[in-house]
Amino acid sequence: MSEHAHTRKLALAHLFWWFMFAQGGVLAAILIPVHVLIQGILGPLGVVPVVDRHYDTWVNVLGNPLVKLYLLVLIAFPFFHFAHRLRYLLVDLGVPAARSLPAQIVFYGGAVAVTLVTIYILLTTVPISFG
Amino acid sequence: MSEQAAPREFGWTMPRGWWTRRWHYFWYIVREFTSLPLALWLLWLLVEIRRAQDGPQGYHPHGSLGFVVFSVVVLLFALYHSYTFLTLAGAILHFNLADRPVSSRLIVLSQFALWAAASVVVGFVLIYFARS
Repeated sequence: MSEHAHTRKLALAHLFWWFMFAQGGVLAAILIPVHVLIQGILGPLGVVPVVDRHYDTWVNVLGNPLVKLYLLVLIAFPFFHFAHRLRYLLVDLGVPAARSLPAQIVFYGGAVAVTLVTIYILLTTVPISFG
Repeated sequence: MSEQAAPREFGWTMPRGWWTRRWHYFWYIVREFTSLPLALWLLWLLVEIRRAQDGPQGYHPHGSLGFVVFSVVVLLFALYHSYTFLTLAGAILHFNLADRPVSSRLIVLSQFALWAAASVVVGFVLIYFARS
């Protein structure tokens, strides 16, 4: 492989990971607080009715393909952001091994694994329904 | 000219506990740490989705006091992540509108407006479809 091709490949890889990091950060910032507030606090306390508190309503929305796509984006993208931040958190706290290739494989591979598991769960838990 | 010795590597390491020396450093580490509780909460959401396959008799959503307390803690971290990340947009995004640069303050305000609008829409959907 020529040096130019190698540099271009590295640049594209950086572009991909930085894109995932940035989008994951934006999505986490904009979407997660309201989910935590409503599904994690207000719903369990009975302050408001929430879609995941009852089986029928939960299954109804989970069958919607747009909801499946939304949940995939909501869960998968932030993990690429988290992977990068947590790896550098370890670096900042004095764990130089977090810079190593194995550490990169663990953290970013973990984000890929979460993405694949999320896709599997969304596709197998409730059948897609357009009704 | 004599051969030069190979450059020696300067192995700088941060002093232990450096992030406790100033509040600014501490909050930087907190910002990085926010990822962990948020990741745990999203994994819980994934479990909640998976539980839907248990059927109407076996489905039991999380509702314990411990889970609510955990969510309150996660919410604090989530809000801190949102505030710090969306505020950064003013320093990162630079673009022109009608040949004039958009001020960073306006960019940050637009990010917070987007956050508010998305929260209202998502909140409405989560509550509205609980009634149908």
